[in-house]
Amino acid sequence: MRNTVAGIVLAMFAGSARAADVAAGACDPVLATPREAFLAAGIAAMIACGVTSFFLAGRVSERTHVALAMLVVLVGGFCLFTLFGLVGREIPVAGSLVLLGVIGLFKLMNQFEIRRKPSRSDK
Amino acid sequence: MTTNSLYFVNWWTDTLIIGGLSIVTWVALLAFHHSADAQPIFWFALVLSLVVNYPHFSATVYRLYQSPDNIRQFPVTAWGLPLILFGAVAASLWQPGAIAPYFLMLFLLWSPYHYSGQTIGLTMVYARRAGFPIGRRERMALSAFVFSAFVCGVIRFQQTGSSGGFTDFYGMSVPAFPLPDWTEAAAQAVMWTGALVFVGFAFVWCFGEKRLMPPIVLLPALTHFVWFVPGASLKSFWIVVPFFHSLQYLLIALVMQLKVRIDVVRGEHSWRRIGAEARRWGSRNILGGILLFIGLPAAFSWLPLPLMTIAGILAAAVNIHHFFVDGVIWKLRDTATSSALMMNIAELAGPGAVDLTRPKVVEA
Repeated sequence: MRNTVAGIVLAMFAGSARAADVAAGACDPVLATPREAFLAAGIAAMIACGVTSFFLAGRVSERTHVALAMLVVLVGGFCLFTLFGLVGREIPVAGSLVLLGVIGLFKLMNQFEIRRKPSRSDK
Repeated sequence: MTTNSLYFVNWWTDTLIIGGLSIVTWVALLAFHHSADAQPIFWFALVLSLVVNYPHFSATVYRLYQSPDNIRQFPVTAWGLPLILFGAVAASLWQPGAIAPYFLMLFLLWSPYHYSGQTIGLTMVYARRAGFPIGRRERMALSAFVFSAFVCGVIRFQQTGSSGGFTDFYGMSVPAFPLPDWTEAAAQAVMWTGALVFVGFAFVWCFGEKRLMPPIVLLPALTHFVWFVPGASLKSFWIVVPFFHSLQYLLIALVMQLKVRIDVVRGEHSWRRIGAEARRWGSRNILGGILLFIGLPAAFSWLPLPLMTIAGILAAAVNIHHFFVDGVIWKLRDTATSSALMMNIAELAGPGAVDLTRPKVVEA
């Protein structure tokens, strides 16, 4: 069973791996494709959110930290969407999974920077 | 409970704005508009956008940024999110062929999801006004119905509006979201199950209370169904769906604004004051909407891209910002918001208007 799951995951990411092969010689940032440059910018944005959260530790509310974490999810989700958004054209079932993922992202973003119920550890 | 307290304004106004007008429009288009050419309706919708759609976005921005307290309370929404969206806009403008289509795809999926959220919110508000308690089970059934209708709508919009696997948005080709054939059947199954269960809860309530449920409680969900299931196959209709969504929003936002301005500031309580505040708020939002959707693209018109491409990308960013801000400022669990959403506009006209923003003080 574990081998099957591993096989499916490998098969799903094979396309991305091929993209990495093509770009293997592209260590020079000038040679990066526009999509790679965009992904790099996305990673930079996620790092910026994380660093902001780190430096604001103790100075802002938990709600603000959670909102910054959700920005990381949003940026990461959009980066993945640019990579796999149209995977359903090749694998229809994967299209449904992408839709579910996108709905999950929307649902999560619906909780953005709102007052949260205190957790048990806060009581 | 007075008759008025079920409605924000009165039976006619609420029924028309919340869904009656859009259902009548759908029936009229179905009966009389047989032309495949939707251009006249498109231009009509564009004119309506200036006074309804664009101001509805501006109203959200105005509500968030009008007070420094709000900005302090929601710093990530007020500052962090626009920065991230600015980055996404910059990436889309930099790579209109590689990144912009995905940004627009995300927006085109998020938009109907956002409409679904508003439908649930409106149903909850009217249910609360009618005394119909929406607990966890009722909400699950309602959500199943509303969000499945949204999935049906996405599929139908794409079938009607796309050609060759692409949807036209502001002159740009946005890839249609690929889904397997069985998705619509599955979504319909969940949708009808949710509808049946929710109607079942409504019947139980009617028997228990020995009275009929006010139709306004079910109107938002019925309207949502018309927009996303039968209406989604009619191109001339779904062009105007954003107008009806915005109209619903403006009704609630106006009442909220009047509540904030008239009740909290404790000024004169009269229809004259209500009219003046509504005109002031309306004109500011019309101006704000024009700035957001015409002024902003014009400011970026120096870029070596077609103006429509720039306008489309910026419109998507303004929309996504609106989806976030809306989620933040309209939480029903917030006391000030929920109490304002329980009032009737006439309460603001009389001198004895109750200060609903401070129920705990009154209780104490």
